[in-house]
Amino acid sequence: MNRSESDLAGIGNKTEATAPSRTVGFTAMSIIIFFVAYWMSSQSSISSSVNSQMNSAESLPGFNKQAWLLPDDALLGFVEIPAGEFTMGSNPALDRMAYENERWSNLQRQGSVQLSSFYINRYEVTIAQFRQFVEDTGIAIDPAALQGDPSTPVSSITWPQAIAYTQWLEGKMRNSPQTPAPLMASLEAGAKISLPTEAEWEKAARTDDGRTFPWGSQPTSEFANFAGEGKRSVGFYACASCAFGLSDMAGNVWEMTRSPLQPYPYDAEDDDENLAEDALWVMRGGSYADTINNIRSAVRGGVDPGVRNNTIGFRVVISPH
Amino acid sequence: MVSKAKRKRSSSMESSGNSAVLQPVANAGFSLGNFKIPFALIIALAALAMTPRVQANEILFYSFAGAVLFLLTWFVYLFMQCQRSGEERSFELILRQQHYIQAMVQISVYSYWGYFWRPVYDHAWLIVGQILFAYTFDMLLAWSRRQKYTLGFGPFPIILSINLFLWFRDDWFYMQFLMIALGFMGKEYVRWQREGRNVHIFNPSAFALGLFSLVLILTNTTHLTWGQEIASTLTLAPNIYTFLFLIGLIVMYFFSITLVAGMAAISLFALSALYNATAGVPYFLDSEIPAAVFLGLHLLVTDPSTSPRTPLGKTLFGILYGFSVFALYTLLGALGAPTFYDKLLAVPILNLSVIAIDNAVRSIKSRELLNVWNDNWFGGKANLAHMSVWVFVFLLMSGLGKTDSKHTGDSLPFWQEACFSELPNACERLVQLESTYCADNSAWACNELGLQFREGIIVARDNAMARDYFAQSCELKFKAGCLNLLNDDLLAKEDPHELDLRLLLREGGLNLMENPLDELYDRACEHSWAFACENI
Repeated sequence: MNRSESDLAGIGNKTEATAPSRTVGFTAMSIIIFFVAYWMSSQSSISSSVNSQMNSAESLPGFNKQAWLLPDDALLGFVEIPAGEFTMGSNPALDRMAYENERWSNLQRQGSVQLSSFYINRYEVTIAQFRQFVEDTGIAIDPAALQGDPSTPVSSITWPQAIAYTQWLEGKMRNSPQTPAPLMASLEAGAKISLPTEAEWEKAARTDDGRTFPWGSQPTSEFANFAGEGKRSVGFYACASCAFGLSDMAGNVWEMTRSPLQPYPYDAEDDDENLAEDALWVMRGGSYADTINNIRSAVRGGVDPGVRNNTIGFRVVISPH
Repeated sequence: MVSKAKRKRSSSMESSGNSAVLQPVANAGFSLGNFKIPFALIIALAALAMTPRVQANEILFYSFAGAVLFLLTWFVYLFMQCQRSGEERSFELILRQQHYIQAMVQISVYSYWGYFWRPVYDHAWLIVGQILFAYTFDMLLAWSRRQKYTLGFGPFPIILSINLFLWFRDDWFYMQFLMIALGFMGKEYVRWQREGRNVHIFNPSAFALGLFSLVLILTNTTHLTWGQEIASTLTLAPNIYTFLFLIGLIVMYFFSITLVAGMAAISLFALSALYNATAGVPYFLDSEIPAAVFLGLHLLVTDPSTSPRTPLGKTLFGILYGFSVFALYTLLGALGAPTFYDKLLAVPILNLSVIAIDNAVRSIKSRELLNVWNDNWFGGKANLAHMSVWVFVFLLMSGLGKTDSKHTGDSLPFWQEACFSELPNACERLVQLESTYCADNSAWACNELGLQFREGIIVARDNAMARDYFAQSCELKFKAGCLNLLNDDLLAKEDPHELDLRLLLREGGLNLMENPLDELYDRACEHSWAFACENI
């Protein structure tokens, strides 16, 4: 053995103590290194297992466990809104609660907008539905978003996270035999699953008769969760008279749209303009925390895309782009 | 087995030396004797676990509690063993200059850096906890091996050095204690005979940092640490190079490490300049030598007991460190690993080579070469002469704008242009720079990164990745990012917004958050942002 080998092995070390021996020391060091390596490499799998523990696979009455917990009916809760024209914005002569930003232009109180037919979901997206998306993708979200009754609308999520959900759902529905034929046909024809534009949302909320609330023009607390203290399960308020039979188009949670907040007149063609401005997206419908004037169908709120708030959620549409 | 009589004789012989020796307390009835010291340290660590800083995080608290429990168990076992056998444990008080001066220099770095990056001050209590743990661990380890413990400031530079480069986030803080334990075990067990003395092979902090760095890279878990932030926030302190240079002079003066640190720096400066001259682009992104590397070559690689003894050996050691860092930067980048590990991985390997370097130097037959750094040439003050050369080189580099000044690599439009011109590595550097700024919450940079992944020209096309970056950009209110997220066929671009400019123009270390907009546009124009020139 040459000099350097003996140096490295510590042979000839006259000051080496007897116990615990160098073998014990090296063993302890090896254990630490292997433990650290094992523990760190398991970090990602731990987060996956946490996710899988969350996989409660809730079976909520009225929701289809096999179809991403969407409503258990022929169109998975989607309701077709027929093509046609509708009146957008408010007329302060008819609606005393109208805000200034609901006015169409200096010359015109309301405007007329033509839309193609599209599908909108009857309910707001629930915690249970959103949880499936989180479990499937591993997306990092505020844990508060998944807390609470799974049948209540999801909230405390950002605008991009809502968009990510719609993209995930589209990916699933395009590749699943569970997707009802009319919806599949629409998707194959080029429609996409997304948030509604504010025009789509407003038409779905008030039809073409220009009503103030989804159920008509008279204020009532019978059909909506507002001026209250918290979210309620989607569909809690039965509202046969509401436009297209949709639920919670007034109150429960604000609903984000894919339209940037900009002054009327509404024109979907100018959505890609003014890129230098900070992004701000329209939200509609008011929430459980709002008073009656804010749950009118023409009210336009703005949401910063990075904001998470317990009063803000969304619903999805299948619409031509 | 060493007899009691022999141990007593040994103790009295040591007490006659230069060091102050505290005699063991007489064994009359129950007394902790010298065990009072580790016991007090454990109590202090337990008390620290009750501070709001530690209590703020459950896992951090349990990490401290676990460390206390471990040390206490070891303490009780060792104490009872000594009680049964009648053995005593002792220590000697030796205050070594290289420990306390090094510690003071390191504390000055923390103070200055922390003033501009507050998480450093928030981390202070945790450093105190690590020092308490280190003293207790080191003492119990020495006593378990029936050695006399040398009480001084030894653990200070080890702990402070580790924390200058890597610390675990609160949720994984128990790893920090393991890293320290490994460092001290390496110092105790991994030893060799060098010039007739039994010494540790590795610089203890560099050994722990090197091993943990390797594990973090291999398991892709760097995000569990503050490593990246530590490496990039050092430059938030203004004139950090000048500051490190000045405190480096103190270390150089006292411990004659000028040849190692100076040659490492000169090698890196030279290699960077050579690369820049041949490739047309800077090698490192934001400086000729990254600030964290500059710190490392002053305070990490310069442990006298784990570097060569001969002047020429020290010179070679420094040059090798410079070359290693340079090579590792590219290697880590090519492997997709964070490049800040470059300065950490080289040290343990170099520590292993010191005997070989010294032997190689001594085998040189040429007296002229061997005497190239002969002390007599400088009137017995070779180190001062070396320092003069280093001061000259640093002033020269500063004069050429290669230290604290604006650096070409700071300009994003420069890298965009270089990438467009297909200069070597320019596109990779552009993506790396955009990633860094995106991580710093520049919405513009996130959108640009998203576009890179959507277009698939300079990186592989990956729409899922693109969406992630667009989402990040959108959450930061960048409208183009939101529109790109909505539509997979869109490639919306927009000039940087005001907040982006405050991040993109920092030139590594400037705080531009309060600067007036006009000044910001002036600076952006200097950085070749065409839109900014139009806005002036």
